[in-house]
Amino acid sequence: MSTIQSEQSPQAGIGVELTPELLRKRRGQLRIIFDRFIRNKVAVAGLAVLALITLAAIFAPVITHQTATFDPNTATDVYHIASGPIPGHPLGTDYVGRDEVARLLFGARVSLLVGLASMVASIFIGVSVGALAGYYGGWLDNLMMRVTDAFLAIPLYLILFVLAATFTTGSGSASVIGVIVLIAAFSWPATARIVRGEFLGLKEREFLLAARTLGANDFRLMLRHILPNAAGPVIVAATLLVGFNIITESTLSFFNFGVQPPESSWGTMLATSQDYFSEQPLLVLIPGVAILITVLSINLVGDGLRDALDPYMTER
Amino acid sequence: MRRYVIRRLIQAVVMLFVMSIGLFLLIHAMPGGPDAVLFSPRMTAATRANLRHQYGLDQPLIQQYLSWLKSVLTGNLGFSFASGQPVAAEIGARIPATLELFAVSLSFALVVAILLGVISAVRQYSLTDYSVTVLSYFGIAMPVFFFALIMQEIFGVKLGWLPTCCRTSADTTGFTAFENFQDAVIHLIMPAVVLSFLFIAGWSRYLRSSMLDVVKQDYIRTAKAKGLASRSVFFGHALRNALIPLLTQVAIDVGAVFGGAVITETIFAWPGLGKLFYNSLQARDYPVLLSMLLLGAASVIVFNLLADVLYAVIDPRIRYS
Amino acid sequence: MLEVKDLKVYFRTREGNVHAVDGVSFHVDEGESLGIVGESGSGKSVTSLSIMRLLQIPPAQIMDGSSIVFQDAELVDMEESEMRKIRGRQIAMIFQDPMTSLNPVLTVERQLIEPLQLHLGLSRGEAHNRARELLEAVGIPDAERRLRSYPHQFSGGMRQRVMIAIAIAANPKLLIADEPTTALDVTVQAQILELINRLRRDLGTSVMLITHDLGVVAGMTDRIIVMYAGKIAETASTDELFANPRHPYTLGLLSAVPRLDEERPTELQTIPGSPPDQLHPIEGCPFQPRCPFVLPQCKQYPPARKIAGNHVAYCWVDVTDPEEQKRAMQRGFIPLTEIGRSYLAQS
Repeated sequence: MSTIQSEQSPQAGIGVELTPELLRKRRGQLRIIFDRFIRNKVAVAGLAVLALITLAAIFAPVITHQTATFDPNTATDVYHIASGPIPGHPLGTDYVGRDEVARLLFGARVSLLVGLASMVASIFIGVSVGALAGYYGGWLDNLMMRVTDAFLAIPLYLILFVLAATFTTGSGSASVIGVIVLIAAFSWPATARIVRGEFLGLKEREFLLAARTLGANDFRLMLRHILPNAAGPVIVAATLLVGFNIITESTLSFFNFGVQPPESSWGTMLATSQDYFSEQPLLVLIPGVAILITVLSINLVGDGLRDALDPYMTER
Repeated sequence: MRRYVIRRLIQAVVMLFVMSIGLFLLIHAMPGGPDAVLFSPRMTAATRANLRHQYGLDQPLIQQYLSWLKSVLTGNLGFSFASGQPVAAEIGARIPATLELFAVSLSFALVVAILLGVISAVRQYSLTDYSVTVLSYFGIAMPVFFFALIMQEIFGVKLGWLPTCCRTSADTTGFTAFENFQDAVIHLIMPAVVLSFLFIAGWSRYLRSSMLDVVKQDYIRTAKAKGLASRSVFFGHALRNALIPLLTQVAIDVGAVFGGAVITETIFAWPGLGKLFYNSLQARDYPVLLSMLLLGAASVIVFNLLADVLYAVIDPRIRYS
Repeated sequence: MLEVKDLKVYFRTREGNVHAVDGVSFHVDEGESLGIVGESGSGKSVTSLSIMRLLQIPPAQIMDGSSIVFQDAELVDMEESEMRKIRGRQIAMIFQDPMTSLNPVLTVERQLIEPLQLHLGLSRGEAHNRARELLEAVGIPDAERRLRSYPHQFSGGMRQRVMIAIAIAANPKLLIADEPTTALDVTVQAQILELINRLRRDLGTSVMLITHDLGVVAGMTDRIIVMYAGKIAETASTDELFANPRHPYTLGLLSAVPRLDEERPTELQTIPGSPPDQLHPIEGCPFQPRCPFVLPQCKQYPPARKIAGNHVAYCWVDVTDPEEQKRAMQRGFIPLTEIGRSYLAQS
C-alpha cells in the first residue's frame, strides 16, 4: 500500500521507509527471519501448541455447547462430584460437579486474556518510557531511568500482593481488569530498558539525520524510523512477557489475590482444588499442566523468534 | 574504588528515601488503606477519634510521613495493627527462619546451577546438555506454587518421607541435639528445593550461554595452546569469566527470591518473613507490610550495589569513574 | 623436525565442505625459520592450528591421508593427553590479537607461570622467579611489579611481548607466530619481529611465521611458502623468492605491497578479481580466474615446477619467458623485475 503512495507522490518520501526499494528489502528480511524461524522445529512445535490452545479458548462456547440457558462453565452435575474421567465428562468434574473440560477451556480464556492484555499495556508503557528517555536523553532520561530503577527494586510479588489485596477485591470481571492493570503497572521496566538502549544506539545514525533534515518531527522520527529498527528485541520481550504474566496471574489467583468468582482462571482452579489433591489429583494437575504447557510453548516461540531475529545473539 | 562505592551508596540512600515516600503514600492513599482497616463499623465516633489520634491518623499525610520517617530512622518501625507488637520485633523474630531457608536454598541453587551450566556448556549438544536444557525450560515455565503442591503431595502425603509443613515438629520435647538437627533438616528439604528450583533453571541456562560465549574467546585458545587440560581450561580460565555476568543476574533476582519466599513459606507454613508477609496481607496489617516492602527494596538495592562492587573486584577491567 | 604431508582440512557447513587446506606438504628443520604467506582465507592459520590440534572439530575435519609428523610422532591421530604434552612444551604459539589473547581477569603472573608449573614442574617460587626473568627477556621493564598487573594495564605491543614470554616459557622446539604483528602499530611491529628473531637465535628455536604481508617475512625467515586457496603456490628460500618469483600469484603479492623506497609510490597494485570461493573449488589451478598468465591447460592442476634447489612453483607457465610476459601484459600485467630486489635492499 505504501509502495503505491510513494510512487504517486515522491515528495511524501521523506520517510525513508516508504521507498519501494527499502520496502522490498524489508520484505526480504522478513522472509529470511521467517525461514529461520520455520527451520527451528522446537519453536514451530511451540507455536502449533499455542495456536491450538488459543483456538480452543476462542471456541470454548462452541466446543462445550454453551447456549443461552446452559452455561457449561457453571452448571453442576450433582451426581458426579470430583468424579475423574467418566462418559460425558472426559476430564471428570470438580469438587462441586462442574465439567472439568469446560472449566479448563473457559479458564484458558481468562488466563490468556490477562497474559495478552497485560503484555500489551506493559509493552506500551515500556516502549513509551524507553523511547522518550533514549531519544531525548539528558535530565528526562535520567529521571525516567531512576524511576525505572525504583520500580525494578521493589520485589514484584510483594508489591503485587499488597496492591492486589486492595485492587482485585471487586468481583468477576472487575478483578480481571484489576489484575491486568496491576501486572502491567509493574512489568514494564525491563522493556523500557531494552527500548532505551536501542534508541540510544540508533538515534545518531545517518538515516535519521537525513530524515530530520527533511523536516520529520520528533514523534514521526521515533515512531516510523527508530521504533521499527528496535522491533526485534521488543517482539521477543513481548512474547516472553505473555508467559511471565500468565504465571504471575496464576500465582496471584492461587493466593486469592487475583481473579475472583464468578470469573475463573487456571490459577483460581488451582486455588480452589488444592485441598482435593489427594482425592482427585486431576483437579490440580489439569490447570497446573495447562499453565506449564502454555508458558513453555510461549517461551519456545520467544526463544525461536530471538534466534530468528538475531542468529548471533544466543546459542541454543 | 572507595569513591565509587561511596557515590553508589549515596545514590542508594537517595533512591530508598524516594521509594519510602512513594510506598508510604501508596499504602496510605489506597482505598481500604490503614484508615479503613483499623476500625470496625460498630465503633463510636469517640473511640474512632481516639484511635485515629493514637495512631496519628488524624494528622496530615505529610506530617504522618515525617513522624513515621523520624521513628524509622531511630529504629522504630511502628506497631503492628494485628498484634500490637513493635514491627521491628515481629520482623526480627522471623529473620532466622528465612535466613536459614535462603542460605540453604540459594547456595544449593548456585552450586547446582553452576554444575549444570558448566556441564552442558562443556558437553554442548550432548544428551546431558539436551536433558539439562529440557529440564530448565520446564523449570522456567513451572509456577512455583504448582511445583510446591506436587512436591508436597508426592513426598509429603503419598510417600510420607518429608513433613509438609513447618520448621520443626510440633512436639520436640525430649529430643536430643542430634534429633533436633535431624528434625530441622527434614523440615527444610522441601521448602529449600522448591525455592531453589526456579533459580536453578534460570541460572544454569544463563551460565551455559555465558560459558559458550567465553570458550569462543581468543584467550581460551591461548590457554589450550599452553597444553592445559580441558578441566583447567574450563575451571581455571573460562568459569571465572563466565561467572561475572551470572553474578549480576543473581543480584537482579534477589527481588524474585523474596517473592518466591512468600509463596514457598506460605505453602509450607515456614515461620519466616514470607509467612509473616502473607499473614499481614490477610490482616491488612499495613505497618508490617510497609516495613517489609521497604526491607525488600533495600535488600534489592544493597545486593545490586554489592554485585557491582564484586564485579569490579573480579573483573579488573572495570574502572571506577 | 616437523613434516607436514598432504594436509587436508575441510570445514563442514550447511552449504557444503569448505576446502580450507587442500593438500599441503612442507617441513621445518631444526633452528630454521619458515614464513607462510598468503591472503586471509588462504589456509595458513588453519594449517598452524592443525599442527597444534586446536581446531574446533566439528565443523573442522582433518581428512584421511593427512599427516603431521613432529619429532617422529604423528600428531594427527595422537591421543589428546599426549598432545597436551606437546602443546606449550614442544610447540608453542603466538596469536594475532594480543588484546584478546590474554585472559582479562587473571594477572600476567598467573598466566605466565602456568606453562612453567605444568611443563617444567617448577614450584610456585621458582616459577615466579623464572616468570620475572622471562618478562625481562622479552624487554618488559619493572618486571617484578608488572607480574602483578592485569593485561588491560599493558599496551598492545607490551601484551604481545607477554604472549611471547608465555610461548617461550617452556623452551619449545617450534614457535608458531600467527600474524604476530598485524594488530600492532608499525613501529611496534618492527620491535616485535626483532624480538622474535633475537629469541630464535638465542634459544635455537625453530620459527613458523605466518603473515599476509611479504614485508614482514623479508629478512626474518630462511624460507617462504606462498599459499593460495588452501594450496601451496610457490616455495623457495627467502632471498630466492624475492629475487626470482615464479608464480603469478607471488608476482601479484609483491606488487600489492607499498614500497618504502619510492618517493611517491606509483599506482599501488592490487590483484584484480575476488578471493577464491573455497566452498566450490574450481578444477585445476585455483588462481586461474585472476591470473593474467592463464592458459587452457590451467584447467588441470599444474605439476611442481622445480626452479632451482628447493625453489618450486606450482604453475604451468614460465613467467620469466618474455613471450608469456607480453601476453600477460595485454591482460593488464605489469612486470616488476626490480620490486623483489628492492625488498631485499630494504631489509
